[in-house]
Amino acid sequence: MYKVVVPGDCISTEVNRAGEGTYVEDGNVYALKYGVVDDRGTIKVVALSGKYMPVNGDVVVGKIAEISFPYWIVDIASPYEARLHKSEFGRGEKIDFGNMCEYLDIDDLIVAKVMNVDVMMRIDLALKNEFKMDGVGRLIEVSPTKVPRIIGRSGSMIRLLKDKCNCFIFVAKNGRIWIKGSSADMDLASQTVMKIANEAHTSGLTDRIALFLDSFKSEKGEG
Amino acid sequence: MKEEKIELIKDGKRLSGRGFEELRPIKIDVGVLKRADGSCYFELGNNKALAAVYGPREMHPRHFQNAKMAVVKYRYNMAPFSVDDRKRPGPDRRSQEISMVSRKALDPVILRELYPKTAIEVYVEVLQSDAGTRTAGINAASVALADAGIPMKDLVSSVAIGKIDGEVVLDLDAKEDNFGEADMPVAMIARTNTITLLQMDGRLKKEEFERGLKIAMTGCRKIYELQRAALVEKYSKSGNEE
Amino acid sequence: MGQEVIEDIRKDYVYDLIEQGKRADGRGFLDFRDITVERDLIKKADGSTRVQIGDTVVLVGVKVEPGAPFPDTPNKGVLMTNAELVPLASPEFESGPPGENSIELARVVDRGIRGSETIDLEKLCIEEGEKVWMVFIDIHTLDNDGNLVDAAALGAIMSLLNVTIPYEQYGLTGEDTLQIRDTPVAVTVVEIGGNLLVDPNVYEESAATSKLTVISNADGSISGLQKSGSSGLTEEKIVKMIEIGIEKAREIREKYLPKI
Repeated sequence: MYKVVVPGDCISTEVNRAGEGTYVEDGNVYALKYGVVDDRGTIKVVALSGKYMPVNGDVVVGKIAEISFPYWIVDIASPYEARLHKSEFGRGEKIDFGNMCEYLDIDDLIVAKVMNVDVMMRIDLALKNEFKMDGVGRLIEVSPTKVPRIIGRSGSMIRLLKDKCNCFIFVAKNGRIWIKGSSADMDLASQTVMKIANEAHTSGLTDRIALFLDSFKSEKGEG
Repeated sequence: MKEEKIELIKDGKRLSGRGFEELRPIKIDVGVLKRADGSCYFELGNNKALAAVYGPREMHPRHFQNAKMAVVKYRYNMAPFSVDDRKRPGPDRRSQEISMVSRKALDPVILRELYPKTAIEVYVEVLQSDAGTRTAGINAASVALADAGIPMKDLVSSVAIGKIDGEVVLDLDAKEDNFGEADMPVAMIARTNTITLLQMDGRLKKEEFERGLKIAMTGCRKIYELQRAALVEKYSKSGNEE
Repeated sequence: MGQEVIEDIRKDYVYDLIEQGKRADGRGFLDFRDITVERDLIKKADGSTRVQIGDTVVLVGVKVEPGAPFPDTPNKGVLMTNAELVPLASPEFESGPPGENSIELARVVDRGIRGSETIDLEKLCIEEGEKVWMVFIDIHTLDNDGNLVDAAALGAIMSLLNVTIPYEQYGLTGEDTLQIRDTPVAVTVVEIGGNLLVDPNVYEESAATSKLTVISNADGSISGLQKSGSSGLTEEKIVKMIEIGIEKAREIREKYLPKI
């Protein structure tokens, strides 16, 4: 069990180690968020809820919200909308305001990388190679604060999920998760992702999830 | 409405049997609403208040955006059936003023500069009212903000003091409020003893004010402990379900 | 965040599932989500009920106060139904004066109670032309995960069943139990891709092409209908929807409401 803290809780006096989700005042480190303390390395407070704040290099799943030549305006499950310039399709393409929707239309889902976030919170995206999601599979959304647990230490949790659920699973930084597989496999994968999200604040999670998936498989085998 | 005088203190006790510096029973539930980003149900005696937080999200209309920081919106609203005489639905001057002072009670702890151009929306619904609804609303809102993952330096805790039958007492109920001589809601950051809301109506001597403020601050510290415990409880509970 | 995982928002996912005969939460097409009711939570109201259907939560409070009758019905009490889709209940609801959705919600619930003559308004006359009882039904939405109408209508009838008319409080004398003559129950049936479903959640609501609320009474008669949604309906579909509505209402009535 991790230590749960609320804003204003004093968590340390080692101000040099103060990390994300904390603030320093009068020689103490205080919690800036409601969450759990992680003091491996720097002292951090990992929030268990909250909105996605884009950072350069993040890979996100976005939804085309609007077309405003020469940009697509993209909803990235953040307080801020992002934009994607038409040049992302290469200079050879003749894209004008009349045919932008033939490349990407409203409600299309894309995989993109955050290239730049300026002080006015204007966010520029770049397309990833396999950017189009084409309505195949299922998209679920979790709080972006749960993403590290779904991936796990050096990818241990996500590897477990992919193996046992027999699905393609892509976890974007903004909490959107794309799952592809058979209907039953996708059901198990989404159920498991939900379980991880709900128990993100507990320790020994990877082991418990492994047990959960095994018990599910054996149940199914017997039935 | 001050009707005929009634005795509010008998044999050194209040009508409810409470001591002068005793809070009404408090119940706090965190994360009670599905659609909201953060939520809290707060009961203070017969007061029932529910708070929801949405955001930070895009600010509409755009010209209300602040390019440097998030704008906090706070809406205090009473359900029509929450009071003795049915309240006409919708905002009135009283609820608008309460919304404003409540927002200002919370503003100092929220790191608004982390979310320029956005709105952080706080909605408080009073489902049953028995004096002290604005303090119940602020307590609920503060917990709901934390539950929504909003970065904030501290929680805010709030309670009122008042004067009844010449005595300064903590946390007036409706009868005490109607027949009392003064009512003074206070909100405070418990860790730093910083007052973020202070209002008073009625009449108090300077010494009474000073004593009242001390009693209110002690009350806020007790409420802070309960708010904190409720938040910690939320994650302890779901971990033990396994 | 209250809820960690939000199942796919896209309409086509809901749609695809339904095409395969499934719903995201595993229910059958004609199954309601779990219903829980709690009565008399609000002491300041003369009757109140908190209805929860799945994650949808509605609090209904009834207050009864003396007031002047309408000039054209001097010997009848007044029934007023009001709904507030407060912004606390959903990211889609906004502050401000009641919009068309809250007006529709209030009017549909009102129509069911009025049409079934559940309340004998003549019994609510205190002094003809001068003073009558005014019954206010206030619907307060707390969490919107779809199907607010059915939840609100159930909350309204359950609250009315518990109402004590406050004669004493106003220095009057009379029969203080509010006589209830029927138990109207609303059931909303939606059409998604040619299939009919009851009790839509918020995603199913947005995927639905049409929607019919059927309010029916203890004897199986209908006392309120409201069609909404952007598509038309055939006669056969409507008849089927009404049959489903009446049947599901009967089940809800048996479980939650007394025999009148």
